[in-house]
Amino acid sequence: MNAATQLVAGLPILSMITLLPFAGALLLAFLPSSRPSLIRITALAVSFVTFILSLLMLPGIRSFSSEFAFSEQFSWIPSFGITYHLGVDGLSGALVVLTTLLSWICILASFGPIQNRVKEYFISFLILETGMLGVFLSLDLFLFYIFWEIVLVPMYLIIGIWGGADRIYATIKFVLYTLVGSLLMLVAILATAFSHQAATGSWTGAFDLIALRGTITDPTLQLVAFGAFALAFAIKVPMFPFHTWLPDAHVQAPTAGSVILAGVLLKLGGYGFLRFAIPLFPQAAHNFAPLIIVLSVIAIIYGAVVAIVQTDLKKLIAYSSVSHMGFVTLGIFSFNQQGVDGAILQMLNHGLITSGLFLLVGIGYERTHDREIAKMGGWASRTPVYAALFGFFLFASVGLPGLSGFAGEFLVLLGAFLANPAVAGAATLVMVLAAVYLLWMYQRIFTGPLSPFLKGLGSHLTDVTSIEIATLAPLAAMIVAFGILPTLLTNAFAPSVAQFLMYASGGLIP
Amino acid sequence: MTGDLLTIEPLLIVAFTAVAVLISDALTPSRRYAPIAVALAGLGLTSWVLLQQSGQTVTALSGAYIGGPFVAYLGLIGAAVVAITLLISPDHLAARRYPSAEFATTLLFALCGAILVGASSDLVTLFIGLELLVIPGYLLAGYAKRDPLSTEGAVKYFLLGSFSSAILLFGIVLLWGSMGTASLTGIATALSSAKGGGHPAVAVALALITTGVAFKIAAVPFHYWTPDAYQGSPTPITGYLSVGPKIGAFVLMIKLFLIALLPLASMWIPVVALLAAATMTLGNLVALTQGNVKRMLAYSSIAHTGYLMVGIVAAGAGQSSGVAGVLFYSAAYALMNLGAFAFLTAVQGRPGSTVQLSDLAGLGRKHPQLALLATLFLLSLTGIPPTAGFFAKAYVILSAVQAGGVASALAIVAVLNAAIAAFYYLRVIVYLFMRDPAEAEVEVATAPLLRAGLLIAAVGTLLLGLLPSGLIEAVVKAIAS
Repeated sequence: MNAATQLVAGLPILSMITLLPFAGALLLAFLPSSRPSLIRITALAVSFVTFILSLLMLPGIRSFSSEFAFSEQFSWIPSFGITYHLGVDGLSGALVVLTTLLSWICILASFGPIQNRVKEYFISFLILETGMLGVFLSLDLFLFYIFWEIVLVPMYLIIGIWGGADRIYATIKFVLYTLVGSLLMLVAILATAFSHQAATGSWTGAFDLIALRGTITDPTLQLVAFGAFALAFAIKVPMFPFHTWLPDAHVQAPTAGSVILAGVLLKLGGYGFLRFAIPLFPQAAHNFAPLIIVLSVIAIIYGAVVAIVQTDLKKLIAYSSVSHMGFVTLGIFSFNQQGVDGAILQMLNHGLITSGLFLLVGIGYERTHDREIAKMGGWASRTPVYAALFGFFLFASVGLPGLSGFAGEFLVLLGAFLANPAVAGAATLVMVLAAVYLLWMYQRIFTGPLSPFLKGLGSHLTDVTSIEIATLAPLAAMIVAFGILPTLLTNAFAPSVAQFLMYASGGLIP
Repeated sequence: MTGDLLTIEPLLIVAFTAVAVLISDALTPSRRYAPIAVALAGLGLTSWVLLQQSGQTVTALSGAYIGGPFVAYLGLIGAAVVAITLLISPDHLAARRYPSAEFATTLLFALCGAILVGASSDLVTLFIGLELLVIPGYLLAGYAKRDPLSTEGAVKYFLLGSFSSAILLFGIVLLWGSMGTASLTGIATALSSAKGGGHPAVAVALALITTGVAFKIAAVPFHYWTPDAYQGSPTPITGYLSVGPKIGAFVLMIKLFLIALLPLASMWIPVVALLAAATMTLGNLVALTQGNVKRMLAYSSIAHTGYLMVGIVAAGAGQSSGVAGVLFYSAAYALMNLGAFAFLTAVQGRPGSTVQLSDLAGLGRKHPQLALLATLFLLSLTGIPPTAGFFAKAYVILSAVQAGGVASALAIVAVLNAAIAAFYYLRVIVYLFMRDPAEAEVEVATAPLLRAGLLIAAVGTLLLGLLPSGLIEAVVKAIAS
């Protein structure tokens, strides 16, 4: 045990991480709206302390011998065996750190752009952070569902209040899509819990993930419940054909909203498959796998092809997300170590890279108030640092070896190849398409002669500020680090992947 | 005899309070809040007595009245409903020059009816309780006597209400006559026997009772009186009407369908399930198209009737959690719906104002706290955790999933409906926070009593969502008897 582990050993560290942002939101509520800088600094401080806490938690995960470290469990609604049960392993630990990292980055990145109703904005953002962390840390299905729904409300407000011109249409679409999926998932959760109660005669453990895994044998329940879970997660990922809310939400959301949407919210879907849907209903997952693999490949290709023709910069990146997230579901449903490793890497890398790209788009928008690719051109001649940073994240997104995007996609393709070579072949094609739409976009925006539109902005077209660099630097550093040493991550979640594969094979063949 | 009086003590206290309210008003005509204070004190006393009685089941009046945890639970909800209504009403009514004392008295008599419905063990007491509950409702609907809309709504409510009472009564009489007993459990026993179950009058009685009850709970297609009665009444009264008589009618439904007619469950389950699906779906779809917020909430209350009926279906299929779900839902619905109407009362500070969606535009900027409370109630009505409305819905759906068969299908219909409902509840939030302020400004009422009512409803809505176990235990205890 090292110093950090000893420091947090006796504390309810997971509750602290989860609830600290919420406590911060309450604190903000009592600060006067007339002092926006105080509100901004407080929000940043709270989210940064949460980040530090999550880092302190990390070393502890590996020093525990049980599957979930820092487990906390209290009876909450005893009549139905519902408990407040938190726990962390390598998989959720990595996603928790991604969340806490992106949260303070987003809060910092909102300092400039958000000038309207500052207090409400940061309160929403901190509540959103609590919701996301709760989803990753919950081991009780009911608690998980509650956090899952809590995420919805602040995101609804963030898009709807601080978003672009069509924000209301986009935010309602986002909520309704998500709600349809999650409500059906609620029915499935209740049906699963009831089947446990009917089989054991007691509600104890009926909502507990650990108690439920491997006990659901009724094939009909497996199919129906997996279908409902999968729908909820597929909408969140988003998988083709449930992706149509994403481009609207991304385009209309404020920059930080887009970042958190791409960086964390989409991961909730992938995480849901890995943690809940597949371990609980492995047989059904195998039955559904061909369909999901086909849909993943369609998403990978479709997202890339549609991205090529986009004229709006944010929409282009949104569709590239659809394509990239297709790799996640493809990897997960390969059901082998390479595929799952790759899927998790891809989730984390997409979180880092696409967040960076959205931040950069936001930085550009601050100066131009436009995202129309056709109006740009020759931008690099005016703001070389901005262009260089953009290029860096862009190459990471293309999957340049040495940057973190490569390892994830490569492992997914390897896993898919082991499972089904034809599928892998189709998906590999997209590596080329990604290069096409991203590099072409870069070329149109940054190279060539300065466009009249950008020229017209004159001295407004400034280079990145130090705050903006502060938001991008940690992401860039991690992209390089994990690009060179992806094993830093794969080792951390190796036990989780082994557990997942055991449960995914129905607990029979390890 | 003395024992009987002690058992029916809650009923007596409420009735005496009603009289005391009138006397206090006559003695201190200049003090507007005196009758309210007397009424609230009486409600406090009633609640205390109900809590004392919640330990065990006791009967009185030759078995016609059963006191105990079930009555205590319902009585406490009823007392809370009346108390919140009393807090949010007086200033709204005074601004429109309508008296408060008569209003409080009428509400208290309705509470007597609600307690009697909960305590009744035979058809006669049940029907008397029901009438005692709904007749004050007709009076209240027409309380704004100078407003033609209110009078129209009240007349519709009265005519259709009396009509449905007559239908229900006819069914009750047929049941009584054919089974030879008015006792609810006696009827159930008679129906289970081979002879009683096959009686030719039973099917007719069932049809009439179903129709009558469907009118009372405002289930589709017997809901037509609801929007007019709700829209015409003064807003706080609408809040009460959408909660009090509805919960009372559901208790009636529990007594009739889940005690007396339980042996016929296989006959009525398909009908009630169909009505439930139609009620949820139609209520929500029509609510989508409403621009008047009060009318929207009227249709949304129809949709909530549908969700509550899901619990009845599950209970009919043998899941006691269905009844528990209905009781929990009733408490949650009472708090969140009264809260929503308290909010509407608050934004109708100026007499004669109606609330269109567009009037609420930008309210979040001018009155952030009020808008925040409204958001809480709307999220709860939508069923988003961690609020009372979420847990209520989850409870009812759980019971439906447990029951299986038709009820499971209803559970799916219910959650899809919840998604439809999200659209129009969230649209109000859109107007509150995401639109620019309206040109004609709404005048916000800031009476301290109204604020207290809003706050109580909000705290309750949150508390039932975060810590539902206390109420769940109370509910389970209530139905065990």
